[in-house]
Amino acid sequence: MAQSVNDRRRINGPEESFPPVFDDEDDDEFKLKTQRKRGPGDIRPIFLQPGLISQANGSAYIETEKTKIACAVYGPRQSKTTTYSEKGRLNVEVKFAPFSCTRRRAPMRDAEDRSIGVSIHQAIVSSIRLELFPKSTIDVFITIIENDGIEGCIASGSLAASTALADAGIEMLGLVASCSAAIVGDGIQLDPTEAEARASSGTVILACMPALDSITSIWQSGQMSADLSLKCMEQCYERCNDIHSIVAQSLLEHRKTD
Amino acid sequence: MSSSSVTNSSAADETLRAQIFQRLHPRVYLERFIAEKIRPDGRTFDEWRNVSVNVGSISTADGSALVRMGDTTIVCGVKAEIAEPELDHPEQGFLVPNIDLPAICSPKFKPGPPTEEAQVLSDRLNEALVASGVLSLSSLCIHPGQAVWTLYVDCTCINYDGNAFDAALLAMLGALRSTTLPKATYNEETGRTTCSRKTRSPVQLTRNFASSSFGVLDTSHVLSDPTAFEEPLMDVTLTVIVDDRGELISTTESGGAISEETLLRCINRAKERALQLKD
Repeated sequence: MAQSVNDRRRINGPEESFPPVFDDEDDDEFKLKTQRKRGPGDIRPIFLQPGLISQANGSAYIETEKTKIACAVYGPRQSKTTTYSEKGRLNVEVKFAPFSCTRRRAPMRDAEDRSIGVSIHQAIVSSIRLELFPKSTIDVFITIIENDGIEGCIASGSLAASTALADAGIEMLGLVASCSAAIVGDGIQLDPTEAEARASSGTVILACMPALDSITSIWQSGQMSADLSLKCMEQCYERCNDIHSIVAQSLLEHRKTD
Repeated sequence: MSSSSVTNSSAADETLRAQIFQRLHPRVYLERFIAEKIRPDGRTFDEWRNVSVNVGSISTADGSALVRMGDTTIVCGVKAEIAEPELDHPEQGFLVPNIDLPAICSPKFKPGPPTEEAQVLSDRLNEALVASGVLSLSSLCIHPGQAVWTLYVDCTCINYDGNAFDAALLAMLGALRSTTLPKATYNEETGRTTCSRKTRSPVQLTRNFASSSFGVLDTSHVLSDPTAFEEPLMDVTLTVIVDDRGELISTTESGGAISEETLLRCINRAKERALQLKD
């Protein structure tokens, strides 16, 4: 992958390099069939650990099989912008580690991490009582250490962000849980991996606050019938209830060990 | 009941006052600990923090390592790509080490391009890997003059609690040691290189080494493995890299002057440390 040669702030390699080409690239279909071992309605097991980053006000690390994401919350701290604002500002920044994807990511920020940042911002912003933090900014930084499907990254990222916010003691209306679904053939598969999402015709990511019975964000892309997308949302919402109890459990356990 | 709650709140008051004191007068705060021959985190001067290394946990990388040194956490991943060699070194591959100190790891870093600290660290890590000749670049050759491997060794700091250099070097070496490359063949007719999914072989490292960092306060107190709180207060910082046979690879000293005796003491301590880290 071509890296900007003029970037003197980093150690640069050769002008151009390419990821290796394998001589048997045709077994993707075969892999997909063998890969999904769980049922269509099952999600990958979630490992969630709040408070691993000691320098941050709050933090969380989440692992769902291959997807690995670290999240830290700094703030509320003084806003840098000079304009007065009565409400606090929520700032979400997502960063991919260079080795997190199948192809190496050049260290420059591209459009993808921004769009993930916006989706996660959408998912959690309505859960935070921003009116309590005038003139302040809450920074949520997310590093994706290993990526296995963008949908899963957004869902797990929202979950980690909400957990980290709770760990930081920031007042919220409720914890946010999030789940994704993909349409593969005629069926719905929850929490798709990268290969499954690639084989699907459309995806839905839903974020909600199960404790308040309200939805914070829905992101649907690709082609699907209205009926099917409603069904996806229903299934995701149901799963979110289970996910919510995992988050609550991990926060409680973390408090006990403190 | 009431008396216990009173002592509780006064104890909380004490800690709060200590925290405020630490913030306002960090140097005096540290000096008071030093006078008692102990450090703020309860270590003695020449005690190291616990180190754990977890190798090969990232499947998207060709080699990876996660290092925790106390609270400092660094992940390193190696990505192998194929490039054309430079004309004057037709058989040499590339080794490209970089470290990123993103905003996630400490409140003192802001999002954006690499900070000065990250640039200096990347450069020092590059120097260390090049100076030690840990990897023979000609072993990365696929076909002379046409195709060679490029190993991108990228470190990301997740939690910054001082002494990132030692942790990053440990992570880079751990990741390189776990790196395997697919068997690659260069086709002279098509000029393309293809790899086999089935056969992979490990990268050969020539030696095993570790770095040890020290901070010197008031020319006489030598603190091993300084934390993020101690680091900026040190008068002199010293990094010694030795290999497991006790041979010196690099010594960096920055800041004020130190005596020869202190330097030799640090080198001896670094030798012991390198042997400890070997297993």
